[in-house]
This record gives sequence, C-alpha cells and structure tokens, in this order.
Amino acid sequence: MLIFLVAGLVAGCVYAVAAVGLVLTYSSSRIFNFAHGEIAFFVAITFHWLAFSHGMNRFLAGAIAAFVVSPLIGLGLWAGLFRKLTHAPPAVRLVATVGLFVAIGPLSRIVFGTEQIQDLRGLGPYPHHNYSWLGVPLDSDQIIVLVTTILLAVALVLLLRYTAFGLSVRATVDAPSLASTAGINVAVVSAGSWMIGTTLAGISGIMLAPLRGYLDSQFTFLILGAFAGVVIARMHSLPLAFAGSLLVGVVQNLIRWKPIEDVINHVVNRDSVWVRGLQPSLPFLIMLAFLVCYRGLGRERFVVDNRRGTEEPDLLADAAPEADVAAVDPARGPSPSADATTVGRWRRLARTPPGGLVFLAAAWLFLPLWLHGSRALWLGLAGKGLCVAIIALSYTVVAGEGGLISLCQITFAGIGGLLVGQLVVNNNMSVLAATALAVVIVVPIGLLAALPSLRLGDLYVALATLAFAELVQNTWFQLDGISNFGSGVPVPRPKIGPIAFGGDTAFFRLVLIVFVLVAIVVRNMQRSTTGLTLAATRSSEVASATMGISIVRAKLVAFGLSAAIAALGGAFYVQYARVAQPIEFLWPFGLVWLAIVVTWGVRSPTAALLAGTLYAVTPDVFSSLLHLQGKWLEVPGLMFGLGALGLAREPRGALVQIREGRRGKQRRRSAKRDQRTAAVA
Amino acid sequence: MTSPLAAPTAQPTVARLSVHGLEVRYGEALAVAGVDLEVAAGTAVAVLGANGAGKSSLAAAIVGAVPVARGRVHIDGTDVTAWAAHRVARLGIAFVPEGRGIFPHLSVADNLRALLRAAVEPAERADALGRALSTFPVLRDRARQLAGTLSGGEQQMLALARVLAAPPRLLVADEMSLGLAPKLVDLVFESLARAKAQGVTILLVEQYVDRALELADTAVVLRQGRVDWHGPSTEAREHAVSGYLGGG
Repeated sequence: MLIFLVAGLVAGCVYAVAAVGLVLTYSSSRIFNFAHGEIAFFVAITFHWLAFSHGMNRFLAGAIAAFVVSPLIGLGLWAGLFRKLTHAPPAVRLVATVGLFVAIGPLSRIVFGTEQIQDLRGLGPYPHHNYSWLGVPLDSDQIIVLVTTILLAVALVLLLRYTAFGLSVRATVDAPSLASTAGINVAVVSAGSWMIGTTLAGISGIMLAPLRGYLDSQFTFLILGAFAGVVIARMHSLPLAFAGSLLVGVVQNLIRWKPIEDVINHVVNRDSVWVRGLQPSLPFLIMLAFLVCYRGLGRERFVVDNRRGTEEPDLLADAAPEADVAAVDPARGPSPSADATTVGRWRRLARTPPGGLVFLAAAWLFLPLWLHGSRALWLGLAGKGLCVAIIALSYTVVAGEGGLISLCQITFAGIGGLLVGQLVVNNNMSVLAATALAVVIVVPIGLLAALPSLRLGDLYVALATLAFAELVQNTWFQLDGISNFGSGVPVPRPKIGPIAFGGDTAFFRLVLIVFVLVAIVVRNMQRSTTGLTLAATRSSEVASATMGISIVRAKLVAFGLSAAIAALGGAFYVQYARVAQPIEFLWPFGLVWLAIVVTWGVRSPTAALLAGTLYAVTPDVFSSLLHLQGKWLEVPGLMFGLGALGLAREPRGALVQIREGRRGKQRRRSAKRDQRTAAVA
Repeated sequence: MTSPLAAPTAQPTVARLSVHGLEVRYGEALAVAGVDLEVAAGTAVAVLGANGAGKSSLAAAIVGAVPVARGRVHIDGTDVTAWAAHRVARLGIAFVPEGRGIFPHLSVADNLRALLRAAVEPAERADALGRALSTFPVLRDRARQLAGTLSGGEQQMLALARVLAAPPRLLVADEMSLGLAPKLVDLVFESLARAKAQGVTILLVEQYVDRALELADTAVVLRQGRVDWHGPSTEAREHAVSGYLGGG
C-alpha cells in the first residue's frame, strides 16, 4: 500500500503545484486559466530544448525555464490579455483561456518542431538513480518532485503570510476595490500573481515531464488533476487546493492497490473498459462528487454571489434586456460601482447582429456547381464543414442564449454519431431513423451532464461538462464495440425512398437543408418566450427568479436543445465520414470548435456556418492549396486559438466587427456626400 | 516591480478638497451631474440627499474608485482626477465605503495591517497597529479572528480603528452608520468627532441627517446628481429634508 501511497503523493504534488498556481491567478483576476496545463507543457519543452537539445546544464536550464520564461509568459499574458478581461463577462474570460489552450499547443510545435520527444529526462540524473525508503522504491525524479513541492509550499506560505506583497495579494483577493482604496496597487498584485501562477505551472511541467513524457496529452492529464484540486478548494483556498490535489493523486494511485483492485474486480471485470477508464477519470469523478456536495450545501453559490455583490459587479452576462430598458428609461442605470465604458461595451455582446444567413445558405447551395471534377475534394470538405456547423449551432444555443460555456458539446455529438453507428449495424435501423433515435437519447444525457453544476455558476458548468466529456471519453468511447477495435463502425449515407444521398453533392445538399432548418429553429428560439427567458436569466438571475422565472429550468431547456442539436450534427458527421469513430470526438477538438465559433460570434447562426466551414477547410487550404508542410500545418490551430483571444477586444465576435466597420464606412461616405452637396448648394 | 504597498508620501497633516464640475456616468445614466464642492482643511462637510441622488458616486469618484467622466478633483491643489485609487490613498486619503470597508477573509490584525500600511511610515506601523487594537478593546481580543465573522458593529469598529489610529489627511466616509444599532451609531459619530478633533478633514455621506449636521461645519444637499443646496450645517436641515422628500 505504501508504494501506491507514495506514488500517489508524487502525482498529487505535481497536481498541487499546478492547482495552487491556478487558484492564485483565479483569485487575483477572476480568470480561470484553462491553458494552465498548456503553459506547463510549453515551459517543459523549453527546459528540454535548453538542457538536452542545446547542452545547457540541466539545473540552469530548469532555472531559466521556471524562473525566467514562466514568469515572462505570465506577465505577457496579463499585460496583453487578462488585464483587459477582468471586467469581462465570465463566458468571455473562460473562452479567452480556451483560445489560449488551443493556441499554445500549435505554437510550441511551431517554435520547437513537431518531432515528439521520446526520452524521459528531467532535472534528475539519467538513467534515474533508484533509492528505497521504508521499502518503497523511489527514483531521483520522484524525490525531486517531493522535495521541490515541500520547498515551494514553505516558500509560498512565507511569501503570503509574512511579506508585504503577500498581504497585498490576500487583501486584493478578498476585496479588490477596497484594497485599491487602501493604497494597494491591484494591477501590480494581479501581474505578480500571474507571474507566480505561471511559474508554478512551469515548475509542475518540468516535474511532470520525466514522469509521464513530453506529450501534450499528458499535460492535459496534469491539468485535469489540478482542476479537481481547485474545485475542492472552491477556487479560493490555497491550502485546500494543495490538500485536495494530494488527495486526488493518492486516490488515483490507491485504486491500483491489490485489496481495492480485488473489490473492484469482484464487482466488475478488472480488465473491462469501465475499470480501465476509471483511473484517468478519477480526478473528474472526485470533482463531480465535490460539485454535487457543494451544490447540496449551497456553499459555493454563496461564495460566488457574495463576491459579485460586494466587489466590482460582474457586469457581465451580457444583459440584453436590461441594456434595452436602460436605453428607454434614463432614470434607470446599472449598478453604481460599475465601470461606465466597460458596461456599455460588454452589454452590447447580447445584441444579436442581423445575419447574412440566407445569403450564405443560397451561396452554399450553388457550391456543387463550382466544386466538381478536380475540385470535388473541397465539396466533401464543405459538407464536413456543414456537419460541424450544425454542432456549432449547439454552442449558439447553450453559450449564446443560455450563457453557459459547455465543454462537452463534442461529446454529445460523439454520442449521437456513435449511437447511429451502433443502431445501424446492430439493429439494422435505417440511418435517418437511427439519427432521430440518437437525438432523442442524447437529450436526457445532456440534462444529466448539466444538472450537477447549473446552480453553481458559469465556471463550474465548464468544469463539470469537461468532467463529463473526459468520463465518456475514457469509458464509453473505449468500448471495443463502439470503436470497433479502433477502426470505427461503418455508417452508410442516408436514403429517403428512391432518393439516395450517397454522393458528395447530394449529401452536401441534404446537410445544407438540415443546417438551415436547425438555424431557423435556433433563430425562432432566440425570439421566443424561451429566448426571452434565457435573456432575462443572463441579465440577472436574481431579478429573473423574483419574476417567477425558473432559472434552472431555463438553463436545462438550453442544455437539452443544444445536446439534441449537437447529437444531430454528430450523426451527420459520421454519415459524412462514412464511419463512426470515437477519435473524431475528443474534447480538445471541441475546444477548437468553441474557439472558432466565439471568434465569429457565439450568438449568430451565420457565425456557426463560417466556423464549421473554416474548421473543415482551413487545414487543407494550408496543405493542398498552399503546399505547406511540417510545422507550418500547425498555423491553422494557432489562428483558431488566437481568434478566440481576440474576444478581449470585441466580445461580440468578428462578424459584428466587420458589419460595424462597413456601416461606419457607409456613414462616413454619406457624411462626405452631404458635405459636398451642401458645398455645391 | 514596485511594491504594491509603497509607503505613503510625506504630506501636510490636513488636506483641502476641491471638486469642480464633477460628472460620473454609468453607461448612458448620469449619476453625478456637474457637482462643485469645497472642503476646507480641517473641516467636515456632510453630503445629504435621497437614495439615488449621487452621494456614493460622488464619494467614490473623489477617491478614484469610479472613473470621472468630466470635471476635476483637486487635493491640496494637486489634480488627482485621473489618478488610480491606490495613488489617491497614498496621499493620506482614507475611504470607508458603503457597507463595512473591511477584508472579510483576513484576520482583524491583518485587516489593520493592510489598511494602515499605505497610511503610516514603515517605522511607525507597529505602534499604529497597537494603537488601532487598543482603540476598541474587543478588536485586541479578536485580533486573530476573521473580520467577516465579527458582528456588524465590530466590523465598523475595525474600519474606525484604522482612522483613529492613524488619522488620515482626508476621510471620505460613505454611510458608516448604515444598518447599525442606535448605540453603535453613537459610537460611530463619537469616533468621527474624535477624528475631526484631531484635525482630520471629513467628507461625510450620511442618511442620519441630524447626526451628520451636528458633526459637519457645512452641508451639501444633492438631488438627481446636482447640488440642490449648500451652506452652513446649522441652516441645512430644512433643505435636507426637502431633498429627501423631493426624491433623488
């Protein structure tokens, strides 16, 4: 048992260092950095590049990577991005870090090359020195992790408890406005916290790499463990984040202890995918357990609301109806402590720009006339883009209307698509009937995924949905019957009576019709009572509740509808690919989809169409049209991530920016015309 | 990187406040609409008015807690209009915001340390902390307790202890008596009177008209973000009441 306990403590220490960094940055800026693990990855690769590609002394390389590169990343991110996002709606803050998550992977491959690093060298000697303590074998890198974590914990306690900076950090975390009026420069504190936070991310990355390898997927694993620690800490307690992360590491390893394994084996087959998927999913299961527990206690809600009430009001949540009311009722204004310019800017987020959807759909209808012969590849990709666009419409509903950042829309799409494969192959069902049934089945699954977190606030919805995605990915997606031993389940293209949609052109037209129909449903929903209810809920949950609106019901409607749309998109996606494979529906891809959708505008069906098409077409534009190779093929991923970062400048998305730019030009032209006319007169 | 808690700059003991044409906007809404105000060094001015008259916005704008849309704020002739709140605080300006003005998740002692650091030279900080804790004995007993767990009255004592232990050059107090029992309201006004006796310039935003006018030398009545009346506090009561009845 001791062996597993110590192994768990080593893993827990890495999680703990990352989790403390996350809590620190979240507390000082209210930005939860989804890219924390990617930053850890980038710093680890930097360390490897310095130490092993350029022969630098490994301790010097570690020091440069951890204490120069990492804090500079933190300072750069704070100055260039997060400083501007402190007053942004939670959804915008979240999605900006999702954009960072999407961008850093490709960026590191562009900078350091796409070749995967195979060795497991770290700060310790290589090959590892092995030691034994109380009969527990420990290698040199594990000892470095334990000692570094203890030193960091002591250093952090001393810094936060006994220094002026520590007192400033604690005061700023507690009440930023009051801290500012008490003479504390909260901008410096926030920048310092980001520098410390990214330094801790970097250190955790350097510690993790020799244990798990220099693979970005392993760093995603790191961040999942750290997220669980952060949820246990309710986002603000550093000691709890530390202890919670240790707990996650220990539990994750203890389930491999024989007596526990025997118990599990007694209940289910040890080699079953459910047991194999249990260990990687444990951080999320623990996270979900704590979410449900906090939901029951109502504790977290209190913390979140209390902060909103006493601090800079979360001007957020786009508040469309309120903004409109304020416009007609001059006596009414926002909360007195709101920042004037910020309010107007963020509230405009809610106004849906009129879409060019009809124009675009009509243009798409004629695409097959142009894309044939040698250009047929592009028609296929455009069809794929339409399938992704349907899934993207699910973001329009859940994020645009519901104001909820769901990170498991791709999982709903995957469940929908994979179910279609199963129903067609195992039940001899027609593909369209299977599609309809899959959509119906996914709706309650969507509601179930949303339930644990809906009352807890925006960030918890993102974390809980990510937990759900990871859980499904590690278990159901791994079933041999679902993945068909990795080769996927063949799915035919649909046929309605005598009309077959087997060819790319026919299938493209079918998916286009489905997309337009779903877009019409989404538009109508936006203008319906449900849409108004969701708008009211986004604007003010308290006010909505006092009007008799059931906030949970409104959000569940958004979630259920979005799950159905995502499943529909997933079903058509597997029909496009002619095969249902779980690997197409991994949640990191979903973050890319989300990043592209919000870049164009999360409330616009037109943006969904553009996002889906760009996702499908851009990589081939780089490889087939521009003939780029190697690391340059990472550029589209980088662009998608950077696009989402642009939200800091314009939270309503690029479409609105383009439209307003055009209107501005028209206004200027018309003003000039008037001047000329006046001059002539 | 400079310390976020830099020591205060040396300043004369009491401050003079001048506000000219001050406007505060929240989006389209105009909360303060061109207020002019003079507070002579060592005097107290009461700002009165109904809810929504713009009192809190005026106070917050003076200390840099909300941005000024138009107009100027001078402290001892220095234009601080565009200054961040922490820079204004380092001039020796204390702001007790509506509510309690404490850090709820910090201990009582840490609250005082954080609140006093910008107000007191490093060499005097230990003495100032000792004075603050002995101002109200209950605070010394609860020095290690989280401030958020104190009663409302004790929390206000904590806010006042900072003021009394290290008298600021200008105190901007926003509704300090809000939600307190009558005995504690007495304590608040006694403490403010002590601060005034120590020479602190006070801008007092208050709903307890009579108590505020007892303390103040002059008064300003705001209505819908504008100065409706200003003059000696002895003549202010009638105007203040009409301001309240007349609505914001």
